[in-house]
Amino acid sequence: MERLERESPQGFVLCDVAAEFMVLDGAGIALSSDGEDLMTLCTSNAVAGDLMNLEITLGEGPAVDACRGNAVQESDLARSVAPHWATYGPEAVALGARAVFGYPIQLGAANFGALSLFRASPGPLSAGQSSDGYLMASVLGRAILSRQGGGSPESLIEELAGSSMLDFRVHQAAGMIAVQGSMSVKDALVTLRAHAFALGCRLGELADRVVSMTTRYELETLRWIDEVES
Amino acid sequence: MTRESLLIATLVELADNLVDDYDVIDVLTVLTHRCVEAIDVDAAGVMLGSPSGELQFVASSSESMRVLELFQIQTDEGPCVDCYRDGLAITNHSISEADGRWPLFTPRALALGFRSVHSLPMRLRGRTIGALNLFRTHQGTLTEEDAGMVQGLADVATIAILQHRSSLDANVLNAQLNNALNSRIIIEQAKGMIRQATGCDMDEAFTRLRTHARNHNEGLTDLATRIVNRSALASDLDD
Repeated sequence: MERLERESPQGFVLCDVAAEFMVLDGAGIALSSDGEDLMTLCTSNAVAGDLMNLEITLGEGPAVDACRGNAVQESDLARSVAPHWATYGPEAVALGARAVFGYPIQLGAANFGALSLFRASPGPLSAGQSSDGYLMASVLGRAILSRQGGGSPESLIEELAGSSMLDFRVHQAAGMIAVQGSMSVKDALVTLRAHAFALGCRLGELADRVVSMTTRYELETLRWIDEVES
Repeated sequence: MTRESLLIATLVELADNLVDDYDVIDVLTVLTHRCVEAIDVDAAGVMLGSPSGELQFVASSSESMRVLELFQIQTDEGPCVDCYRDGLAITNHSISEADGRWPLFTPRALALGFRSVHSLPMRLRGRTIGALNLFRTHQGTLTEEDAGMVQGLADVATIAILQHRSSLDANVLNAQLNNALNSRIIIEQAKGMIRQATGCDMDEAFTRLRTHARNHNEGLTDLATRIVNRSALASDLDD
């Protein structure tokens, strides 16, 4: 995370891309550990930044809900009937938002955080915007995993072009590494991603070797062991 | 049981499953098993498109790694991709070495002993959301009766995705698709943990997960989530 901020002090560029791509007025990305303890990764403008701070202070809002795994839409924060968030709603309106949307950034049971977006005017997302929101969240999941695994910008492009996150073996391997390394599946995904970068091989190839038990992670030494070569 | 009564029993069983808070991966897995029993096919699987249009495997009549790999390839290429993209059924397609249509898919399918393939679109109000994929170890055409039946089963699979059918706008459908696809990923993560904790194969890990969920009346995805979160022990499932 520190690395991310150092490389891009004015914020993660994907945050601006998200708002532009979705044709909304602002976006923010919050990182979380296990759906709790939100931390702002970046926001695309001052209002988006204020909205994210408000959520984190109050502990309620679209990113807080989305971090727990479900997408959320509030197409009019000023409506009085059955508001999503009693305190966040009026304060968000005062900051300049009328509609807010949250998407989980997740890879299976690994919750990385949430993408939240706002619009100054009320109204639901179009069908295209709704699909784009999931696409953005999926791209962000891969981008965050790639960066946490120490990937370069070039490797990120390769990661986004590939379909390794759709590869069931990557997720099976993450489950195996989680047990081998006594870590969360989220950390196992990052560990796998980092090791594939270090080896210069594709994530799917490393996953294949983990699943077939030719490569394993040793908890005692925190090292990768290759059964074939050793 | 005759084939007709087997099909009726399947539809009743699935309709029965769709009432309450059901697990979509479990229902689709049942559907693929019933495809193999009711129709003259040897393997069946369901692939779904993500809201952004990427095709991903979600359920199969066989959990063997090699069969799953055949679906994995179809993330990029194969009858499901074409069927999903065009929204048109591919039926009675003979798989042969001379066929240059799917250079990655064809040799894998042949190596597994499959000789013909069908792919039926899962369609909803003009939008194709996925495909039902059927494999046979011999060539030859499906009977007209079977061809009608497989589209019926693909329609049932479509219905199974729509967990909240009362308000069916694009946002709701996107959320359902995303949930189904993410559920499958959670199950794969849990399978990895079960394999590592018990030393069993991946297909055995799935069987244990499913058996335990059924024995304890718990959703497959709920149990998989608890295993990944370590509120259920991967080494402590029913055999």
